[in-house]
Amino acid sequence: MGLWLLLIVSLSARAQSAPAPAQGKPPGGIQVKDLGGGYVGNTVCRACHPAQWQTFYKNPHFKSIAAASTPALAGCEGCHGPGKNHVEAGGGKTTIPRAFSLMEPRQALDTCLNCHAKDFSRVNIRRSQHTLSDVACNNCHSIHKSPVLKFLLAKQQMELCYGCHPSVRAQFSMPFKHRLNEGFMQCSDCHNPHGTFAATWRSGMRPRMVEQASGNEEACLKCHSDKRGPFQFEHAAVRVEGCETCHIPHGSTNAKLLRRPAVFAVCLECHNGAGSFGRQADGITTQSGSHNMFDPRYQKCTICHVRIHGSNSDQRFLR
Amino acid sequence: MKKRTFQLAFLAVLTYPLQAQQVGGARGQDINGYNVINSFETGYRFSSIEGDLGKYRSDVNFRNGIRLLGSSLTVNSKDGKGRLFDELTLQTSGLGNDPYESSILRIQKNRWYRYDMLWRMNEYYNPGIPIANGQHLLDTRRRLQDHDLILLPQSKFKFRLGYTRNSQDGPALSTIQLFDGRGDEFPLFTNVRRERNEYRAGGDFEFAGVRLHWLQGWDYFKEDTVDRVDSLSAGNNPGDRITLSRFYRAEPYHGSTPFSRVNLRTERKYFAVNGRLAYAGGRRSFIMDEAAIGTNRFGAAQNRQIVVGGNARRPVTTGDFSLSVLPSTRLSVTNATSISSARIDGDAVYREFSNASLQGTTVQFRFLGIHTITNMTDAQYRVSDRLRLYTGYHFSTREIRSIESDGDPPFAPSVSTGLQENRQHAGLFGIRLKPLKPVTVTLDGEVGRADTPFLPISDKNYHALGGRVQIKQKSLLLSAAYREKYNTNSASFSSHSSRGRNYSFDASWASSAKFALDAGYSKMHLDTVSGIAFFGAGALLANNSYYVSNLHSLNVGARVAPHKRAEFYGGYSMTKDLGGSKFALRAADPAAALLNPVQAFPLSFQSPVARVSVLVRGKLRWNFSWQYYRYNEDFGLFGIKQDYRAHTGYTSLLWAF
Repeated sequence: MGLWLLLIVSLSARAQSAPAPAQGKPPGGIQVKDLGGGYVGNTVCRACHPAQWQTFYKNPHFKSIAAASTPALAGCEGCHGPGKNHVEAGGGKTTIPRAFSLMEPRQALDTCLNCHAKDFSRVNIRRSQHTLSDVACNNCHSIHKSPVLKFLLAKQQMELCYGCHPSVRAQFSMPFKHRLNEGFMQCSDCHNPHGTFAATWRSGMRPRMVEQASGNEEACLKCHSDKRGPFQFEHAAVRVEGCETCHIPHGSTNAKLLRRPAVFAVCLECHNGAGSFGRQADGITTQSGSHNMFDPRYQKCTICHVRIHGSNSDQRFLR
Repeated sequence: MKKRTFQLAFLAVLTYPLQAQQVGGARGQDINGYNVINSFETGYRFSSIEGDLGKYRSDVNFRNGIRLLGSSLTVNSKDGKGRLFDELTLQTSGLGNDPYESSILRIQKNRWYRYDMLWRMNEYYNPGIPIANGQHLLDTRRRLQDHDLILLPQSKFKFRLGYTRNSQDGPALSTIQLFDGRGDEFPLFTNVRRERNEYRAGGDFEFAGVRLHWLQGWDYFKEDTVDRVDSLSAGNNPGDRITLSRFYRAEPYHGSTPFSRVNLRTERKYFAVNGRLAYAGGRRSFIMDEAAIGTNRFGAAQNRQIVVGGNARRPVTTGDFSLSVLPSTRLSVTNATSISSARIDGDAVYREFSNASLQGTTVQFRFLGIHTITNMTDAQYRVSDRLRLYTGYHFSTREIRSIESDGDPPFAPSVSTGLQENRQHAGLFGIRLKPLKPVTVTLDGEVGRADTPFLPISDKNYHALGGRVQIKQKSLLLSAAYREKYNTNSASFSSHSSRGRNYSFDASWASSAKFALDAGYSKMHLDTVSGIAFFGAGALLANNSYYVSNLHSLNVGARVAPHKRAEFYGGYSMTKDLGGSKFALRAADPAAALLNPVQAFPLSFQSPVARVSVLVRGKLRWNFSWQYYRYNEDFGLFGIKQDYRAHTGYTSLLWAF
């Protein structure tokens, strides 16, 4: 690894190193050159904010400086606005045109979207449940002090989500769960915190923050591709109402993340023959009269109905 | 900076229970214009299990052995003008036979490209005892890898290439029911082999403030799982005369799902428009060859072969359009309309041979069409800095149509058709209040009605209410939340009612770099009553299925760093289902024996954890972690108890430079 590292770095090195950041206390009489519109340039900012500047080259926003964009789009002033008044006032949050800690959630969102609206993953941010609940970008992202390597998150992703969704933390602590706490998964494998399009299952109204697979399929199918089908005989409940009909996706005390510990309870709560349900509105079929539910062998439905998610060979999902 | 990195690294340790994470003061070195930070944590993971090993492996699955518990490498160009790259990040976790392994790689050069890779492996073990007596055991490995390359990531013309691979393989068990409806069930050995490969190409284009995004994908799936039995089996019910001496089933199932996505959008000062068209056209071809040799329920020799071949298709087309109006900084209104159409149809030829004679050939056909139109309007208004309101109205209409033609030989196929429509309305509201600067209060609710839900347990007459109070004062964060969802769904012979209530309290406090506390408690209550119908001793019986769960969940963690060289972490997590009051059917009720035992399932799952991290030398740390798991069931579903206790942990050295 070490040799690899040396090789990579040697190949990629440039002779010039970055200019040394200014250190120490802010100088009293800073000479400010107005670059137009009240912009003063990043070099002025670094004189008083060396801590922010020192590691800013690791920040994804450093790209804007490296690309030598205009001050309105680059570095500190790209986000915080023209800094002339702030410098002339000798500092202070209130003199920063866009001080995020003082901004309304909507203002923070608008500011970030100036650049970040470009990404397809954020096209629904205006109508996302987070935005409607006043959760703005800086609630989850820490631009200057992010401890994680990607996306400038303020904490590890799941800790962020758990902060506002404590019952979800409880679900992922259950004996049966998706492996989030173990680091195998991330919340964003299934959810898009920036908002999603309407679901194509259930009635399209819920769930509201689940990212779809292949553009318009249920998120579970990203990994559980064997359940995806299409099958000759689909279990209609899966396609119409989705996997959550039988499973609790985050975590459960029941095997296979089922909603009930006993399999037959899961099945019989729908397969009760009551009218108005199902495709033909004449009830979802009851079990066969050959079954005797008092005999334990019939109480584990999926021992025989093994292809319960869908089958190509048997309408009763027996093979 | 060093201190900060150190604290953040330790935060990462607290994040994952028993997953080794970087701990230590990685300072980095400047080499030819790059800053390089590197760390390796390697050590020995141990485990000691008493009780049900299968359940332990299903829940936790850490085993003994030497591991590369974690590694991290970051290389950053200090002027953003590196020759080949400006950022290189490589992180690994659990390599060397942990059940959860992952690697993350990012390489990018400003303005030119960005490449992201994510590789994950999960060693999955599930005995499925309560589901199928352990006869649906899975001992498989799932490997996932995602590659994404963006060319010209900062330009108005971006190009994207992507590849995803998902494979699952390993031994498993399954079952087959033979030879007729009154037959027996036989366990099968299964060699799971599934693989999905997805290729993506697309891009983004921006002109005059209008952004176009397009993506074309090709998804290929294949499953070549083989099931077999090579020795005589008496089946699950040895009292009958049905036996299986040989069984073989090959069922190759291959196909593709090409998909396309186009999105057009623009953001202006007073409005934003967003439109999407997505199409996924799933196609699968299948053939099944199943041969079973044994004796039937009369004890006569039985040789049966089933051959099925056919195709299935599922084109799903989706269109979305949303308009956000932003007339002032106080008000935003969004209306979104979505149309989704899924058509699933499949046809197959089914042939069955019994004792070498053809029983018949059936052409099976099934169609399922699901069309949904959804319209959602949401508005948010900021009354003042302290008060914001939110309201919404959502509506959807769904039509489900089906045509089925099926039936196994020797019965003639039958055809049936069906049509069902459902309309759902929901009203939403929300309030966000800040009576004081550190206090935030949020209240929200939703009331919905559906006229013809698809399932007896689907949402019909429902409401969901929630509230949250959060107090944030410097390093102290306190929050309390309540959420409930009630649903009733009644039809002529059936009624379903569910009531879910969640209560949670959270607190976190970091008084200084030397002490931090994080604690949370949740109670999740659920009770449901559902009308069920089933056959028992030859009679059709109707009754109610009750289920009650009172889950208490507790998480506590405290970090103490009394000395700059040593840090301690102690934590405890507990999940406890206390069950609840059962609705006991009278013993005279024929359903009592079936339903009384499956109403409440009290259990507990506890896990204390302790960790120590000691700075040995400037770049070297020693870490030790211990975690205990105790799972205890206070019920015996189907006479099964899966209790276990396990001590797990690791000792490791972390070298950071």
